[in-house]
Amino acid sequence: MPDGLFIIGRSLFFLLLLFITTKVLGKKQISELSFFEYVAGITIGSIAGEVVTGLESNMFHGVLALIVFGFVTFLVNYLAIKSKKFSDFAEGKGTVVIKDGKILEENLKKEKYTIDELSALLRQKDIFKIADVEFAVLEPRGNLSTLLKRENRPLTPKDLQMKMPNEKEPQTVIMDGNIVDEPLRCAGKGRGWLYTELEKLGVTLDNVFLGQVDSYGELTVDLYDDKIQVPEPAQRPLLLATLKKAQADLEIFSLETNCAKSKAMYKKNAALLQATIDKLTPYLNG
Amino acid sequence: MTIASNVKQCLSTMKGIEAQLSSMALNSLDTEAQVIFHEATITIEEIRKDLQYRVLELERNEPQYSGS
Repeated sequence: MPDGLFIIGRSLFFLLLLFITTKVLGKKQISELSFFEYVAGITIGSIAGEVVTGLESNMFHGVLALIVFGFVTFLVNYLAIKSKKFSDFAEGKGTVVIKDGKILEENLKKEKYTIDELSALLRQKDIFKIADVEFAVLEPRGNLSTLLKRENRPLTPKDLQMKMPNEKEPQTVIMDGNIVDEPLRCAGKGRGWLYTELEKLGVTLDNVFLGQVDSYGELTVDLYDDKIQVPEPAQRPLLLATLKKAQADLEIFSLETNCAKSKAMYKKNAALLQATIDKLTPYLNG
Repeated sequence: MTIASNVKQCLSTMKGIEAQLSSMALNSLDTEAQVIFHEATITIEEIRKDLQYRVLELERNEPQYSGS
């Protein structure tokens, strides 16, 4: 039994130590971006495993090794930030393997990749035809980054010369029936506003599982009770429709009136309203 | 339905649009959207003033419809 207790004690201690080490080394260690972090990550893990179960060995030797590995990784990271040359050496540089749609065989050989392996990496990115690729780099961690030729890239609104309004990130203001104050503040709203919006939707706060505020200050909710139908925010499309109706009305008035001065006034305002509608449409759609 | 009442209806629609745009300008988080909504509010306000003037004119010409 003392053996078991021993293992429990060591495990808890090493768990804490590993937690602290990774906290100190930061997110970079977890993503294992560079060669060095990859090696350090594996070794730290196996040292900990070895020491926790190896009862005959001295625990503090393991702790020492762990601290050394952690410290050296930390040092390498620090130096890599300070010096570009050092970071190229320690963390490795990407190798260009495709340029102008042509495979660079020498670089590929230098990295000891076969054509099959390269095509496998490309297939993972849904690329089956090498001629579609303009540029590809093998990253230090072994993954491939590709730039497709212009005509093979996905279509964006910019390609169609469509104006798209910029949107801010939605804020989650209700979680599990509780108001979360910080995101609410980020959205520039208060509790009073939230209660009013909930009342407008006809739901109570207790019934809301998740509530989000979007860029236009509209609240969307997900309820515990999925049978209740919540009206979708339709203020903006509705406003667009009302604007169009008003514009049509003005045009009708301009046709109906006999007074020349009023005719001109209606016509001018109908044109003005049309211009406003055109400007607002991207913001009011959907 | 007379012309005067139609114009009046349109006037109140305009008032509604103005108020909604104004509230959306305040509620939006994106600065660009705020500016666009605000500019639209101002334009609508001008149109509304013209319409209001026209309503007064119509009421003066056809006093029997005033207030309806």
